[in-house]
Amino acid sequence: MSKKKNSIIPHGNYWIIYVLPALLFYVVFMAWPLLDSLRLSLFTGNNIATRKFIGFGNFVRLFTEETSRARYWGAFVHTWYFFFIHMLVQNCLGILFAVILTNATMKGRQFYQTVIFIPTTFAVLVTGYLWKLLLNPVWCGDVLSKMHLSFLVRPWLGESTTALTSVALISCWQWMGIPTMMFVAALRNIPEDCIEAADIEGANAWQLFAHVKLPMILPVVGMIAILTFVNNFNAFDVVFATENVNGAPSYSTDLIGTLFYRVGIAGQHPIGIPDTGMGAAIATITFIVLLLGVLPVLKATQREQ
Amino acid sequence: MKKSSRFLIASFVLTLLIIPCLVAQGTQEQGSQKVVLTMGSWRTDDVEQMGRLLTEYKKIAPNVEIQFQPTNPPDYNATLRLQLDSKTGPDLMYARSYAAGQELFNAGYFADCTDIPGLMQNFTSSNLAPWRMPNGKMFAVPFAAVSHAVYYNKDIFKANGLAVPTTWEEFLAICDKLQKKGITPLANGVADEWDILECFFLGMLPDYVGGASERVKYESGEKKLNDSSFVAAYQAMADVAKYCPKGYESVTYNDSQVLFNTQKAAMFIDGSWTAGVYADATFNWGVFAIPAPKGRKTAICFHPDMAITMNTTTKHPAEAKAFLAWLCTKEGATTASKNLPSGYFPMINFEIKLDDVHANEFLALNSGKETDARFVWPALMDLYSPMNQAVIKVMKGQLTAQQAADSVAALKK
Repeated sequence: MSKKKNSIIPHGNYWIIYVLPALLFYVVFMAWPLLDSLRLSLFTGNNIATRKFIGFGNFVRLFTEETSRARYWGAFVHTWYFFFIHMLVQNCLGILFAVILTNATMKGRQFYQTVIFIPTTFAVLVTGYLWKLLLNPVWCGDVLSKMHLSFLVRPWLGESTTALTSVALISCWQWMGIPTMMFVAALRNIPEDCIEAADIEGANAWQLFAHVKLPMILPVVGMIAILTFVNNFNAFDVVFATENVNGAPSYSTDLIGTLFYRVGIAGQHPIGIPDTGMGAAIATITFIVLLLGVLPVLKATQREQ
Repeated sequence: MKKSSRFLIASFVLTLLIIPCLVAQGTQEQGSQKVVLTMGSWRTDDVEQMGRLLTEYKKIAPNVEIQFQPTNPPDYNATLRLQLDSKTGPDLMYARSYAAGQELFNAGYFADCTDIPGLMQNFTSSNLAPWRMPNGKMFAVPFAAVSHAVYYNKDIFKANGLAVPTTWEEFLAICDKLQKKGITPLANGVADEWDILECFFLGMLPDYVGGASERVKYESGEKKLNDSSFVAAYQAMADVAKYCPKGYESVTYNDSQVLFNTQKAAMFIDGSWTAGVYADATFNWGVFAIPAPKGRKTAICFHPDMAITMNTTTKHPAEAKAFLAWLCTKEGATTASKNLPSGYFPMINFEIKLDDVHANEFLALNSGKETDARFVWPALMDLYSPMNQAVIKVMKGQLTAQQAADSVAALKK
């Protein structure tokens, strides 16, 4: 087979020119900035003139200074919580909806599929703003009271006990469509005869799902888990849209993403002087956490490839 | 085949080369003598007013065109920093007061403005201070100050037979009366965090701790940040929380403005810069000073806010400097003030009459009272966030006034 392939290509290195544009873009816009930010985490100072090499000074400062340590671990824990809510709500509901949508007796599939997918097509700033109004007693309190739902009239996004969960659920609501669609596609790919065979053997719906469907879509489950993990560790927009970059109230919705933005890009209001080295240090740790998190999941779920 | 591949690569490389040229061309003016200067700002709301001001300036300097290019306010410092670092900064730009501005001067981006004609003569020392380096060098020309007060709905006050309060106790009594009648007394919320500190707490703090002469004592450590005055100020925030809208925990600054503007709330403690928002209000409104508690003197938080400076690396230093010098003349300052949005007040020494009724109402609050910048700005900026959190926690009942004051005082270096 390899011989045949070689014969199609006239000159040995001709393929390079096809790879070049993609490679160039990848290196310039992905690989180089990534490596440069790793390098940046070892420096202090904001402009080239005052930049100074300080080794692991930024990391030491991040974990020894009282406020920055408290902020980092706060954001770290919140990010994990944010991720687990997504795994639990977004992905479990995604699988459930996908199983229902691919059921042979399901009616109006197109309609439900569209309804589930529509929020994904909206801008986060728009949905965030809408939810901010919906969850605000000032604007929706009267309507809810009239519907005899007074117990829902609470500043959900304004209390530190409920804010993070509310923000996570808003994000789940918005992005549910993506895992649902991917699971639908994976479930459709399961050969009909497997399901038929299980049916004939007398498997009930749960057994069919647990022993036939789930094992066969496991690679997709793994991919979704990885995507959720990576996206949530970089989450920023939904908090920005529904709360503020401080992770209000009282830093209770502060994620690694917002912390990074505050420290490395915008600087703390009102002075707003960013500390790019410290920001890069936070990004470097996130990069390592992601690497450590992604590899085992990949290994566990993608071995069939 | 080979030829075409070479052509492909060549054209690709050419494209890469052309892009920067195209970008660069945008910044170079095509005309022969016409000079285009850009001006960076955080005042996205003022495009129209600044447009008028810059058109006026064009009459004086016909060959200079200044383009106003504002950035979203919370992003201004970061964006400006990014532009300056990458050498694409504007020629003229708004400068923040105190530490934020000093930092950019130290980094070599803000020009030394000390020798701009008229600057040192036409401003009082206290008005120059926010943009002065410790060594006396000026890094910007003062442009405008803002004030803080209570906006109130005159119609609602009249309908309920209420008079403008002169003490904090009277103010609370009014709030109580309004609430009992089913009217939300105050529009303020805490969701955006900054407004409750900058407009409300720091706005009323001079009532409790006094003016600049007293502030300095706190900065030097002679007075403690958890003394009785501070505890009283935090306690005032705790007392007032119940008069904020129901669910004020998730009420944003915009929500507050809408609540006041739609007459759903009778009062709103805010900065003078919002005055323009209510220009078309369908009701009568006015402002009164945030009243001090009985036995203390009412003082005003009159905050030096905007100054304009020039970029050290501008291609047209003479033209940029000429504009700054114009702002230091009586003629320039008057034109500028006339075109400032309402709620911004000139800082120059000349007697300047403002046309706007509400602007004059704001300025009138200053007469006979002590004024000062926002408490943390001059020297205690690192206490901004802790104080912000403390105020919110006191309002939510998560801290007592004493605990709040202690938590901030403990962080003072």
